[in-house]
Amino acid sequence: MATSTSTEALSTAYHSLRNAFSSSDYEKCLSLLPQLKLALLHNNALLPSPTTPLPTLLAARDILELAALTSIHVSDGAAFARYFAQLAPFYEDARLGRSEMRNRVVGLQLLLLLSQNSIAEFHTLLETLEMEGAQNGGRPEDDVYVRYPVMLERWLMEGSYDKVWEATRGGKVPSEEYALFSTVLVGTIRNEIASCSERAYTSIPISNAKNLLFLESEGAVIEFARERGWLVKDSRIWFPSEEGDKEVLNSESIIENTLGYARELETIV
Amino acid sequence: MASEDVEMKTVEETQTEEKKEVVDEVTATVNDIKANFPLLEQGVTNFDSRFMLKVLRTIPSVRRRLTPEIFRRVIKESHPAHEKPTLLLSVLGDEDSAMDIEAPATQSKGPTAVIPEVDVYLHLLAQIFLLDQNALEAGAQFSTEVVKKVHSLNRRTVDPLAGQVYFYYSRFHELLPAPALLGIRSQLLASLRTATLRKDIDTQAQLITLLLRNYLITSHINQADLLIAKTAFPPTASNNLIIRYEYYLGKIRAIQLDYSAAHEHLQGAIRKAPQTSAAAGFIQAANKLNVVVELLMGDIPDRALFRNPMLEKPLKPYFLLVQAVRVGELDAFNKVVDTYGDVFKKDGTYTLVIRLRQSVIKTGIRTMSLSYSRISLREICVRLDLDSEQSAEYIVAKAIRDGVIEATLNHEKGYMQSKELLDIYATQEPTEQFHARISACMDMHNECIKAMRFPMNQHRLELKNAQEARDRERELAKEIQEGDLDDSDTGGDYDGL
Repeated sequence: MATSTSTEALSTAYHSLRNAFSSSDYEKCLSLLPQLKLALLHNNALLPSPTTPLPTLLAARDILELAALTSIHVSDGAAFARYFAQLAPFYEDARLGRSEMRNRVVGLQLLLLLSQNSIAEFHTLLETLEMEGAQNGGRPEDDVYVRYPVMLERWLMEGSYDKVWEATRGGKVPSEEYALFSTVLVGTIRNEIASCSERAYTSIPISNAKNLLFLESEGAVIEFARERGWLVKDSRIWFPSEEGDKEVLNSESIIENTLGYARELETIV
Repeated sequence: MASEDVEMKTVEETQTEEKKEVVDEVTATVNDIKANFPLLEQGVTNFDSRFMLKVLRTIPSVRRRLTPEIFRRVIKESHPAHEKPTLLLSVLGDEDSAMDIEAPATQSKGPTAVIPEVDVYLHLLAQIFLLDQNALEAGAQFSTEVVKKVHSLNRRTVDPLAGQVYFYYSRFHELLPAPALLGIRSQLLASLRTATLRKDIDTQAQLITLLLRNYLITSHINQADLLIAKTAFPPTASNNLIIRYEYYLGKIRAIQLDYSAAHEHLQGAIRKAPQTSAAAGFIQAANKLNVVVELLMGDIPDRALFRNPMLEKPLKPYFLLVQAVRVGELDAFNKVVDTYGDVFKKDGTYTLVIRLRQSVIKTGIRTMSLSYSRISLREICVRLDLDSEQSAEYIVAKAIRDGVIEATLNHEKGYMQSKELLDIYATQEPTEQFHARISACMDMHNECIKAMRFPMNQHRLELKNAQEARDRERELAKEIQEGDLDDSDTGGDYDGL
């Protein structure tokens, strides 16, 4: 009795979530989610267990995927990471088969890790995908959703920031959720470029800096230069020179090491 | 005709001789196996695992000679008549009735109850036997039973054997299709918990390496990383296990981009590994990974490595890779990756190799910065086969920031100006290098001291001797006082003191 009513409650809530998501009403999705989670709990489907019927599990996976996408839309990275962690056992379960939305979610997770600069975790996740790809006779990059973050990472590491900038422009992203990361990514590359420029140039004309930093106007450049503490003079930006950080011999550590050797010698002799 | 007869006869004779040799071989092997039983018993009575290790060392030679017949005889002769080791006999399965060879009745001596160590040893042999017969399903089932049995035993003297039992348990499941490997994780984890609680170092170390291997095969790197973080690998574990643990650790760290840690672990593994052909597979795998990690760190592996006869052939693709990275030619690099992509995938280094792309670019920039004091961005772009000058500018800027080259960029005129090289000996660097080497030597010295072994309770024996000597002395003194003894009689005793 109890189970049949809870199953019904789950399926109705699930449908309204689907509808709300397809009409991009993310506020409504958010309000539906707590209720759905409860329903999942009642159906013992929050984690895939062998006793739960297959359709319920498939629905549960769909719900979690939608929830993950929703949290990206409301830019809640932490919630997305949580849903992703919850989805992991569903993706591991061989009974459920492949989910259509899976690569979209995984790609987003990769992008999220990239935007947080968690490169180690990024590669860890990618390694897992590589393994699966090898089993299915393909490469993870073959998928459009996965390729996007993978290429971004490669360009970022290489330093081809102009390509990253190209990729974040509208129309180049594989789905609308990915576009939401563009601002973050542009911010990241701008900071990267800035820190590179500081070391690489002594000075640079403002008009060139505008193109270099992908800023809209020269005013924005001056604003940005002020934020980073650069000197703006004669329509050029002068970067602070770093003559001061010449290596000084650290006498303290030398003394410490030498004393250490003396102590060790004492114990030997 | 006659000569043919003679020939026939000789052939027959040689055949019977061969048979005799075979029989002798069987007896010899049986005796070899049985010779291990007293060792095991001795290990139990002396509570010394060295006897167990001695037994384990004989396994490879016994393994080569193991046949069902030998096995049947050993089981029969080691177990008392009333005890039926059904599990062990199940290994032989239907062959038992088909061949129907009765072992010679040597039970007259009547072996008494079997101690668990011998029992586990026989089960271990059975596991190896099944593995060599390629009976994977049966082996997996049998191993599961054995593991249950071993898990329930709480005897420290079983530990070295138990570790091996787990190893083959995991090996069987690894060879079976994929889901089997996932199935044994909970058992391994449960056993690990038990082993840790019992301070069973051998099993503990074995299980940690097995779990890591298990996770890495299915590339659950996160779980593997968590396992490392949550467990303490026993530092006194056997050398082979430490090596394996180091290798897995190196692999995980490499995936997590912590190349210097990875390099340290891999180098440790390679150095500690036995440098014989028996460990060739391991050394090759570890070296492959190490080469890639060294390249990722920006180092160029030693040329001599690729001349080593054991490594030359399997490391060929990696050698070409090193060449491409060393000269910084993106073209050559892409070609190597295309040609040997499948090899790298098989070795599990593909993702790492892909990451080398940026190293190739960096090396390219570095060579250029060393050869030219000034070079235009356009030229860099052409030489590195990049898409645009703009890309080249960003890449060079990044290289400068990352400390790959010492140079400045001139944006308006579009060229890169190299700075003069820094004198490395004027920096902290040499001190640090020396310090690292000195501490390594110190550590080795301390390790050696720790590794010295002394016979157990020897000092008590000495104490007793000293006590006795003192008693004798007192007696002597007393006797001398009483004037009963000549000086010449006592001289020898004093010498002894």
